[in-house]
Amino acid sequence: MAAVAIHQFAQCITCHAWNADHSMVAFCPNNNEVHIYKLVREKWEKLHVLYKHDQIVSAIDWSLRSNKIVTASHDRNSYVWNQEGTGWVPTLVILRLNRAALCVQWSPKENKFAVGSGAKTVSICYYEQENNWWVSKRIRKKHNSSVTSVAWHPNNILIATTSTDGKCRIFSTFMKDLDTRAAGLSSSNDAKFGEQIVQLDLSFTWTFGVKWSPSGNTLAYAGHNSMIYFVDDIGPSPSAQSVAFRDLPLRDVLFVSDRMLIGVGFDCNPMVFAADERGIWSFVRFLDERKIAPSSSKYSSQFSEAFGKLYGQSKHGMTNDSLDTSRHRRGAHENCITCIVPLRNAGDAAVKRFSTSGLDGKIVIWDLDNLTDATR
Amino acid sequence: MEAENIEAIIARIEHKTRKIESLLKQLKPVEALKTALEGSPPNTKDERCKSANWIVVHRAMMAIKDVDGMFSSLDPEYYDILMKYLYRGLATGDRPTCDQCLKIHERLTERAGLGCILRALADTVNTV
Repeated sequence: MAAVAIHQFAQCITCHAWNADHSMVAFCPNNNEVHIYKLVREKWEKLHVLYKHDQIVSAIDWSLRSNKIVTASHDRNSYVWNQEGTGWVPTLVILRLNRAALCVQWSPKENKFAVGSGAKTVSICYYEQENNWWVSKRIRKKHNSSVTSVAWHPNNILIATTSTDGKCRIFSTFMKDLDTRAAGLSSSNDAKFGEQIVQLDLSFTWTFGVKWSPSGNTLAYAGHNSMIYFVDDIGPSPSAQSVAFRDLPLRDVLFVSDRMLIGVGFDCNPMVFAADERGIWSFVRFLDERKIAPSSSKYSSQFSEAFGKLYGQSKHGMTNDSLDTSRHRRGAHENCITCIVPLRNAGDAAVKRFSTSGLDGKIVIWDLDNLTDATR
Repeated sequence: MEAENIEAIIARIEHKTRKIESLLKQLKPVEALKTALEGSPPNTKDERCKSANWIVVHRAMMAIKDVDGMFSSLDPEYYDILMKYLYRGLATGDRPTCDQCLKIHERLTERAGLGCILRALADTVNTV
């Protein structure tokens, strides 16, 4: 099995993040707190509880170099936490939102972070030295619904968002004081702050979990209709691939390399997608070995019982015995996976380890010893 | 939607009906179903066109006797649209139609998975 460690931390986990050397994990146990655990002699010990938010913490990101934690919450606020001595000191970020903050991510250079919200906006936040203050600058009037996920391009300027209006959009977040125009890059690099580079209109349903590939050449996001979209050549004429799969929709995705992606979601089992030599993406297999061949697993999902009842009324329904076996889910995760985070070692191009958390309150660490192994 | 356009769609559906009847006479029910699903949904909000197309699909669907045999020759590209029409069939509440739809639904779910159901339910643009 590819899962190397499974730990039950809480009843339910909304999101989690790791520090630079992966010795500490921060997560929200589905309430207004953030718990930080440290692995001490093979055992997880609770070190800190970050207590400042009033409502559920919806997203956490831990910057690797500057060791700062940023949190976003349904209470419409964001805090940046700094480790000082033995404690963590919060600094309020003024977002001026009238709806919940839903997602947050540090930019690759860690001088900005982006907060997506239910107020149909993305706020780009940066530190103002003279005021000792995190300021936010908003990209507004572009989204028609809540922003469910944000992702920074490796160039620290472009940002991709997914929204419940079904679109995926890419914006420039160029700021004079923070960014320099890299010479010789594409024309999208000249865009002003908040300018929309492209709007991808591939899905009719909610979209989630946008991510860039390590090189920044490919973008992927998931639709709530059991589809995943891969987009190349971001710019005026992007080329897109829509991949339909046979199982329940994804909530979040992670590129482990430019040609391989892991998707997690309502099927409770990470799915591997890979691009062949022509660049055509397709579903490869489930990572957790309990489901091997799709054809042999009849209705192996949470809905099997309901279907059993439905089919039971028709003459050709299956017997109840065959349903019983599928009802017991014995995988690493027992409920919807909502979050996937890379465990990247400094200097590694490809992600070999990553962790997932979900509504079952577990954090599972997965190891792809060998990337070719995953495609088998 | 312009009236002309609707007339064109209706004419196309009528042509499809004749083709299906002849395929059914030749005992090619799977070919008939494929023909019925082709060009579906009719890409219009006009209820008359949609019902006309549904009648054609329904005719071909009810002629399927061997469901497993049908799936061995029906290409996966038809799965999503077939699922949408199965739900339209189930919505009629008509006993024989529902029986047939459930029978096909079971086999289709085995083949195309729950993702197919989700796509059928989530797609609010291409209504059948």
